[in-house]
Amino acid sequence: MIGLHRRPRLELMLLLLPGAGFLAALFGFPLLTALLGSFGLVGDDPALTLKFYARIFTSTVLLRSLATSLYYGVVPVAVTVVLAIVLALALRRHFAGRKLFNGLYKIPMAVPGIIVALLVLTLIEQGGFVDRLLLPLGLKLPKMVRDPWGIGVIAATTWKQLPFMTLVITGAFAAIPEDIRHAARTLGAGPIRAFLRIELPLALPGITAAVLLTFIGSMGSFAIPDLVGAPNPLPLSVRMVRAFAEGDMSQVFAIGMVLSAFAFAVLIGYYALTSRVGTAKGDSR
Amino acid sequence: MTVPSLTSEPPRPLVATVLFLTLAVSVTLPVVLLVLWSLSGRWSFPNLLPNELSLDNWWQVLGDDGIGRAALNSLTIAVGVTGLTTALALPTAWAMAKVPMRGKRALEMFILAPSIIPGIVVGVSVGQVLLTLGIAYTTFGVILVQTIGTLPLMIRLLTASFETLPDELIHAARSLGAGPLAIFRHLILPLAVPGLMAGGLLSFVGSFEEFDKTFVTGAPVIQTLPTKLYTYLDPYSLQFPLAAIVSLILLLPVLVVFIAAGRIMRDDLMAGGMGKL
Repeated sequence: MIGLHRRPRLELMLLLLPGAGFLAALFGFPLLTALLGSFGLVGDDPALTLKFYARIFTSTVLLRSLATSLYYGVVPVAVTVVLAIVLALALRRHFAGRKLFNGLYKIPMAVPGIIVALLVLTLIEQGGFVDRLLLPLGLKLPKMVRDPWGIGVIAATTWKQLPFMTLVITGAFAAIPEDIRHAARTLGAGPIRAFLRIELPLALPGITAAVLLTFIGSMGSFAIPDLVGAPNPLPLSVRMVRAFAEGDMSQVFAIGMVLSAFAFAVLIGYYALTSRVGTAKGDSR
Repeated sequence: MTVPSLTSEPPRPLVATVLFLTLAVSVTLPVVLLVLWSLSGRWSFPNLLPNELSLDNWWQVLGDDGIGRAALNSLTIAVGVTGLTTALALPTAWAMAKVPMRGKRALEMFILAPSIIPGIVVGVSVGQVLLTLGIAYTTFGVILVQTIGTLPLMIRLLTASFETLPDELIHAARSLGAGPLAIFRHLILPLAVPGLMAGGLLSFVGSFEEFDKTFVTGAPVIQTLPTKLYTYLDPYSLQFPLAAIVSLILLLPVLVVFIAAGRIMRDDLMAGGMGKL
C-alpha cells in the first residue's frame, strides 16, 4: 500500500533485492550447487550417481555417525525441555531478585559453543575442578568428557540451549489467559492437574517450535561434539568437516544434504506450527 | 474478578535461593574458573586453587602477534558484518513489512532458512563459491559468509519494528510534500532505531563469536579469536591458560550486551526476532 514510487512491482523487486538477493546468491545458490554435487553432477566429469548417499546409508561407520548425530540432537533437547519447563514455572513466582535473575539466566544464550566446550573441560573432565572437589571425599568422577554416552556434549548443549528454550516456554505460558487457569482451579482441579491438563496442552505448539529449533541446532553443531564428544563414533557434522579437510567434496555435500534435509523438515514443521498459533491468536504477533 | 490466593502470591525465599544457587554454580563458577586459569602460573592436580597467581599469561597474550592480529580481524569483521547486514536488511525489511506481495510466507521461510541450516553446511557450500570468485580465505570473504548468518535475524527484527509504524504517518508526510528520501531520513530511520540498535548489537556479537563458518571458509589464513581459541583446545596441545584468556576477551561483548544494553534487548523484541511465537 505504501508505494514510494509509481511502479509498485519494480519498487518491490528493488527493495527485496539487497537482502533476499544476497541470500539467494550466497546461500540459496551454493546450497543448490551442493545438492547437485551430492549427486555427482558438479566437477570435471559430471555423472548422476547416488553412491555418496548410498555410502551414508550402507557404510557402518557413517550409519553410526547418523545415529550419533540424532542422539546428540534428541537427548540434550529432551533434557533441556524438562529443565526449561521447571525454570519457566519457577520464574512465574514472585521472588526477591527476580528481575536480576531474568537478565542473568540468559547469558549462556550468547556464549559460543567453543567456549562452552572449554567450560565443560575445566569443570567436569577427569582432573577438572569437580573431580578435585570430590577427591577429599574419596570419590572419583566418572569419565564425562569424550565419553561413549556423550555426557559432556549433553551437558554443554543443555547449558547453551536452556535460556532460549525457557524464554520461548515462558512466552508460551504467558500467552495463556489467566482466566483459563483460574477457571480450572475454581472447578476443582489441583495445581498439578490444572498444569498438566490445561496449561501444558495450550503451550504445546510454542514448546514444540522451540524443541524443533534447538534439535537442529544441536544436531548440526560442530565445535561442541568435536571438542568434548567421543572420538568414535563421530557425528555427521564433525565427519563432514573431516571429509572437507581431506577434499572429498562429494562426500561432504552428501552429508551436508542429509543434515539440510533434517533442517528443512524442521523449518517446515516450525512454520506449520507458528502459522497455526498465529491464526489461533487472531494475529501472528 | 481476581482470585487473590492465585494472583498475589507471597514472596518465595526458597525459590529465590534455589534459583540463584543454581545460577552461581552453573554460570558464575565456570567464569570464575576461567579467570583463575587465566591468572594461573601453575595449577597442578589435585589443588583446588592455582599454585601461584600471576599476570604473566596475560602479558604473553597481549604481546602475542598472532592473537593481536586475530583480535583485530575479529573487530574488523564484526564491524563490516554489522554494517553490511544493516544496509542489506533495511530495504528488504521495509518491503516485508509494508509492501503487499504474493508468496510472502515462502519468502519469510527462505529468509529464516540460513539460521536453521547448520553453519558448517552453509560454510562448506558457500566456500566453493568464494573459491570460484577468488575471495576465499580473505577478510572480505569471511564478512560475506558471516552476513549470511546475521541477516535473517536483522531482517526479522527490522520487519517487526517497521510493522508497528502507522501507514497514516507516511501518507501525512507525503501529502505535506516530503519525497521518498526525506521520508526515509526523517521518519522511517528514526522510528527504526530500537530495532536497528538491537539488530546491530546482535549482529556484532553474532559475528564476533562466530566459529563454524569462519573455521571452514577463513581459517587458517584468516584467524579470528574463536578460530584461534580452537587451536588452543586441540586435545594434543591443550593450553588452558591461553584458552581462558581468549575466552574472557570473547565474552566481554556478550556481557556488555546483557548488562549495559539490557534495556535494548527486550524480551518482546527477541521473541519477535526468533519467530512468531
